[in-house]
Amino acid sequence: MSIGLDRRVARNIDPYLLGSTLLLCLFGLVMVYSTTRYGLHPLAFVRSQVLHFVVGAVIAAAILTIDYRSFASGARALYIVNLLLLAAVLVAGRSSLGAQRWIPLGPFGQFQPSEFAKIAIVITLARHLSDRPGPYTSVRDLLPFLAHISIPMILIFRQPDLGTALVYGAIFAGMLYAGGARRRDLALLGVAGAALAPLLWHILKAYQRRRLLSFLDPSLDPLGAGYGIIQSKIAVGSGMLWGKGLFAGTQNVLQFVPEHHTDFIFSVVGEELGFIGCLVLLALFYLWLVRGVRAATVARDRFGALVAVGIVSMVAFHVFVNVGMTVGIMPITGIPLPFISYGGSALMTMIWAAALLLNVGMRRQKILF
Amino acid sequence: MERDVFERRLAALAVLIAAMLVVLVVRLWQVQVVQGDYYLRLSEENRLRVTPVLAPRGALVDRHGRTLVANRPAFTVALLPLEFRNPRPEAQAVGKILGMDPAEILSRLAAGRDRPFEPVRLRRDVPKEIIAAIEESQLDLPGVLVEVEPVRQYVYRTLGAQIFGYVGEINDDELKRLHSAGYELGDLIGKEGVEETYDAYIRGRNGQIQAEADAQGRMVRTLGTVPAVPGNEVVLGLDLAVQQAAEAGLGDRLGVVVAMDPRDGTIVAMVSHPAFDPNAFSGGIKAGVWNGLLKDPARPLLDRVIQGAYPPGSVFKVVTASAALQLGLVTPDTGFYSPGYYNLGNWTFHAWKALGHVNFIDAIAQSCDECFYDLARRAGPNEVAKYARTYGLGVPTGVDLPNEGSGVVPDPAWKKRVWKQDWYGGDTLNMGIGQGYVLTTPLQIARMMAAVANGGTLVTPHVVTEIRTGDNRLVARIAPPPAGHIQVSQQTLDVVRTGLTAVVTRGTGTALQMPGFTAAGKTGTAEAGHGKPFAWFAAYAPADAPRLVVVAMVENAGFGAENALPVVKDVFQAWLREIQSGATPAPAPKPTPGPTVSPVSAAPAAPRKSTQP
Repeated sequence: MSIGLDRRVARNIDPYLLGSTLLLCLFGLVMVYSTTRYGLHPLAFVRSQVLHFVVGAVIAAAILTIDYRSFASGARALYIVNLLLLAAVLVAGRSSLGAQRWIPLGPFGQFQPSEFAKIAIVITLARHLSDRPGPYTSVRDLLPFLAHISIPMILIFRQPDLGTALVYGAIFAGMLYAGGARRRDLALLGVAGAALAPLLWHILKAYQRRRLLSFLDPSLDPLGAGYGIIQSKIAVGSGMLWGKGLFAGTQNVLQFVPEHHTDFIFSVVGEELGFIGCLVLLALFYLWLVRGVRAATVARDRFGALVAVGIVSMVAFHVFVNVGMTVGIMPITGIPLPFISYGGSALMTMIWAAALLLNVGMRRQKILF
Repeated sequence: MERDVFERRLAALAVLIAAMLVVLVVRLWQVQVVQGDYYLRLSEENRLRVTPVLAPRGALVDRHGRTLVANRPAFTVALLPLEFRNPRPEAQAVGKILGMDPAEILSRLAAGRDRPFEPVRLRRDVPKEIIAAIEESQLDLPGVLVEVEPVRQYVYRTLGAQIFGYVGEINDDELKRLHSAGYELGDLIGKEGVEETYDAYIRGRNGQIQAEADAQGRMVRTLGTVPAVPGNEVVLGLDLAVQQAAEAGLGDRLGVVVAMDPRDGTIVAMVSHPAFDPNAFSGGIKAGVWNGLLKDPARPLLDRVIQGAYPPGSVFKVVTASAALQLGLVTPDTGFYSPGYYNLGNWTFHAWKALGHVNFIDAIAQSCDECFYDLARRAGPNEVAKYARTYGLGVPTGVDLPNEGSGVVPDPAWKKRVWKQDWYGGDTLNMGIGQGYVLTTPLQIARMMAAVANGGTLVTPHVVTEIRTGDNRLVARIAPPPAGHIQVSQQTLDVVRTGLTAVVTRGTGTALQMPGFTAAGKTGTAEAGHGKPFAWFAAYAPADAPRLVVVAMVENAGFGAENALPVVKDVFQAWLREIQSGATPAPAPKPTPGPTVSPVSAAPAAPRKSTQP
């Protein structure tokens, strides 16, 4: 285990990945301010978000000084702690909108273990895939990994948090695909998962079912759950090419858009900054994701490469589902937009995910195998 | 795994990511650029309307449940800023119909700019004819809404105006102070009186209706309703019949009447004339009416009972007598000679009447000025001031009404501080008969009399006794603890009570006598700065077990016995009638499982005989 940042290693840090991470965070802070500056304490939300950014960044700097391979050795403990935390949410969690997602932390507010669990799953699954490097010649070879991810997924589904559970699915698919699973085996698992859907339907809360149904057919509930989708589209669409101008959105002020500072923050981006602003934001995400894939490509070992792939899969899924939701091509599942949505646990998780990517990319081998 | 397989799969992932982003970009292009105009128009005429539903304020009822203040439905005209496309001409048109200055309409619109989907109220309580005119031109005025809202109704108009206070739109200062308590721009809030003190109980909680509107601004579909929660009912200690008698007794004259239960400070009647009609405020007061109230030299908005500062005159002899008795300067049998004047150095102080030889009890009964000049001089100003303070003068009584005054209890140090002058012997003499620098509120005098009547407890006056929900569940019982006990011995109090009883039996207050009725009291005739003296009468009854203190003061009227006493008598008569009629004609309060129900009730269990005046 090597601690401390070697100058040669530090020189390897990916400036594009670092830069796009910082720009995304800045973009997010501006948009959080834009969506929460009404009311008696216009700075309350953005102040909290800045605080989480600073704390997250300090911890991220610490993560950079530790060789990422050290995380592989702690994977087993991490996996168990993660399960305990997720179970704790079900027992002692605070609920919001009918779902338990937070653990109260007294004076420090509360945190959402399912956010941090995303990183824990990536690290532990990468270790697991490195320990059993394959080749995977049948579905049976994939079952240990399926078991690995199913336990935390079920715990999160029980909260119930459909969106986050689906994120785990995306992480699983991305990592197993990159890890060498056969396409047809993955497809089989996907079909099996889809077949399970009717069972899972019963676990969903009524509002979640409504959201899914209204995505399939907005006219089913045009004034309830469907209303959010319509209002979000109106907000995004009314931004047109150049947007109404930062802080000049009206749908935002009118609070037509539900959850406009968290899950639906992109609809405010669309309204205030227009198509051009959306392009800039998506370009930043694209740069970030491509540099993440590059970190996987240059990683010195299988563990590092798979960690990178897991993180890239997670963020890509978040971006696609979240933005797709605001423009009506994805169902409302309650997934935040990485780096942009208001939410301390999510922001810190994303910053640490970026730190892991930088860590893997930084400690690459000079000569490829 | 083969390295090249891994790299190919990573490349495939990169392609997938790029493809997903392209899908998003294409979709954004479609929504924002291709259909942008359509969505922009939708956003501009966004169909959601949030209409606040005003919670009806809680009623104010008297001790027998008779409604004093309630609500009536009325039309409110409001503007929807979102729909107001051409503010200037439309404000002109609306202003013309409503009789409002277009500039005021525009400034109200500007105030509600950051919540353009919420109606901004322009005028409350708009007459039907104007509503008809608005509905005729509805198509030209798409942003104008007509709503039915409760408007505050003061059933007996000017009766008890200063007790009740009035309602008005929250102002900037109040909003700043009360925002954290849930008050919003445009809310109605109690101003002055019970409406102000108990606003948190009375106001209830506003609801809202979220609805979808069509292009004309008409509600097509309700999306959600948050019902308004009506305010709590406030039960006052007031007795409507007694209050009416007090109002009528005072009539058009300037002055006050206050009636209070000496046992616990519950106020039974409270009149300050001239009064105003709080109904004038309910629909938003017109500037002319408001300025008229402010500029009226008789100051109708002033609650003279708690905010006036009057020389108490001879009523103050209760204090001087107590001081003299406590200091051992007199006994009930001490003899005085009253020649009609009193000499101090080169000065001669006149008395209201030459009484000849009197004892101390008769000195009180006949209101002998020379006797009290002499006692005050011998006691000294600091001792008199000390006893004035022990009776609660010079400080607010703590009544549950806003902006109470404290009056003045002077002493040499006070005069030095305020007037930069020495205290003269004449100041002491004036003070001894409640003149000179002594100033009191009528409520302080009532409380002083209550302390004499109840054996020395300095009660905390209060107009409200209970807060109840609409379905008659007890929310709070208002029973403020007494401020303390006066520093006067029982023997002293006994002598003072004997003197006050003699006032009615054989002194200046004999006019109060009624068959089967015993009372004690004190007249006062206080020199005013100008005009005739202020007439005072302060009394309690029955003399041996007092249940009601009544104080009346008439400004610039003359002798207390002639001008104030009859008002007090009217009040006692009304009170006796209430007792005799068995008191509670109102629906008897249902038994409530409230946590602090006390068995004390001001109403007697059975009618008393032989109290007919």
